[in-house]
Amino acid sequence: MSTPYGTPGGPAVFDPATLPSDDNVNAYTFCVELKGSQWFLQKGKMIAYYGSMEFNGIGHGRLDRLVRTSFHSPLHASDWVVAEGSGKMLLADRAFDVNSYDLEDGNLTIRSGNLLAFQPSLALKQSIVPGFLTLIGTGKFVAASNGPVVFMEPPIRVDPQALVGWADCPSPCHHYDHGYMTGVMGGLRALTGLGGASGEEHQFEFVGAGTVLLQSTEALMAEQATGAVPQQAGVPGGGGPHTGPSQQGGAPRLPGQLGDLQRRFGL
Amino acid sequence: MFRLQGSKVLAVDMTGDAVKAKNGSMVAYDGQMDFKKMSGGGEGIRGMVTRRLTGEQMTVMEVKGHGTCWFADRASEINLVSLQGDKLYVESSNLLATDAGLRTGTSFTGLRGASQGNGLFTTTVEGHGQAAIVSDGPAVVLRVSSQYPLTVDPGAYVAHQGNLRQSLQSGVTFRTLMGEGGGEAFQIRFEGDGLVYVQPSERNTIAGDV
Repeated sequence: MSTPYGTPGGPAVFDPATLPSDDNVNAYTFCVELKGSQWFLQKGKMIAYYGSMEFNGIGHGRLDRLVRTSFHSPLHASDWVVAEGSGKMLLADRAFDVNSYDLEDGNLTIRSGNLLAFQPSLALKQSIVPGFLTLIGTGKFVAASNGPVVFMEPPIRVDPQALVGWADCPSPCHHYDHGYMTGVMGGLRALTGLGGASGEEHQFEFVGAGTVLLQSTEALMAEQATGAVPQQAGVPGGGGPHTGPSQQGGAPRLPGQLGDLQRRFGL
Repeated sequence: MFRLQGSKVLAVDMTGDAVKAKNGSMVAYDGQMDFKKMSGGGEGIRGMVTRRLTGEQMTVMEVKGHGTCWFADRASEINLVSLQGDKLYVESSNLLATDAGLRTGTSFTGLRGASQGNGLFTTTVEGHGQAAIVSDGPAVVLRVSSQYPLTVDPGAYVAHQGNLRQSLQSGVTFRTLMGEGGGEAFQIRFEGDGLVYVQPSERNTIAGDV
């Protein structure tokens, strides 16, 4: 090519013809091609675009229909925008690794801060697990992670900080190592950190058929608000009326905290 | 001669010539090197005063000698730019090293600079030679030509070179004020002929969240 600027052998120079379509430019940048179509993206993740595009907040009146069919958590709508138009758009997030994933008539639950963008053919819903979002349907979405993502098959126990999400509904639950919980000394140890806590006593356990996505560091990405859930009895995180005497207070309590000790003594 | 060793370390082979580099960015050298601090970016009294006034201060050192010198800056990704008589516009904080033969100066950027949150002025590098710029994550180089204008988020913009006109686009509407903005309220549009370097990360800008 005999165009000025840029050197042979130097860094790759992209223009609209050489940018990939709906694929990664490098590990940290993703290129989306819009042909009169729409994409949902998290606010402020667009870094550059060719062509003509419009970015509208979800509250935009014209988008009501779209939002009704593919955006089901109106309560955090202010964090999302719809990109519309034609051209190529680059997405990136604080120099984290980004990757695209294809869902085919499937479902995937992902930590809210990790999801960057998705096609409107997918429906976004709040997960009943607080802080997570679920995508249902067929289409492509883009997610960021701190370090490359690894895919694991259940049954598996994972570190809470390394969990990015899970697909096809394995059932997640908490797992505590037994020795950590037993006796007054175990509780004290967890409370004070004295006497050798390994820091790995608490895990998430996945069983069932599906895939679990992990990132390769334990440094979490910033959470994105998922919006409040209706204040109803039986809704996790809803802060509704308590259903039993064992559920006290809205804040999650770590095992081994004094409350548990007191309960253990029957106080 | 500039070359990259990995993506985060710049190696410069020198045979008696000199390079200008950000103060304190040397991580290692072999051979014989002299380091000399150049106050005010080495542009004389006038340049120094201009930099003070415009807030584009850079503390630069001149490295001269025989051997190889390695430079790095907070594990940022390094991008090499070669200039053939054209002009590179870069934020002084993103400029790591330049050939001694390149002239540096300051220029007014107007509203674009303000929207990026780094002031109204930027650094220019001009002449024939190589320069190294740093970015948060490897920069993507995008070509702008007359049929392909480019729009860039001010927070992700790192540098540009060539003959480009830039204008600030504002998407601020009454919706923005109501908290329902598109998240991309300010954009810089580049038209003309040249290259734009964007990083896969956004600095905090005054318009970051509108």
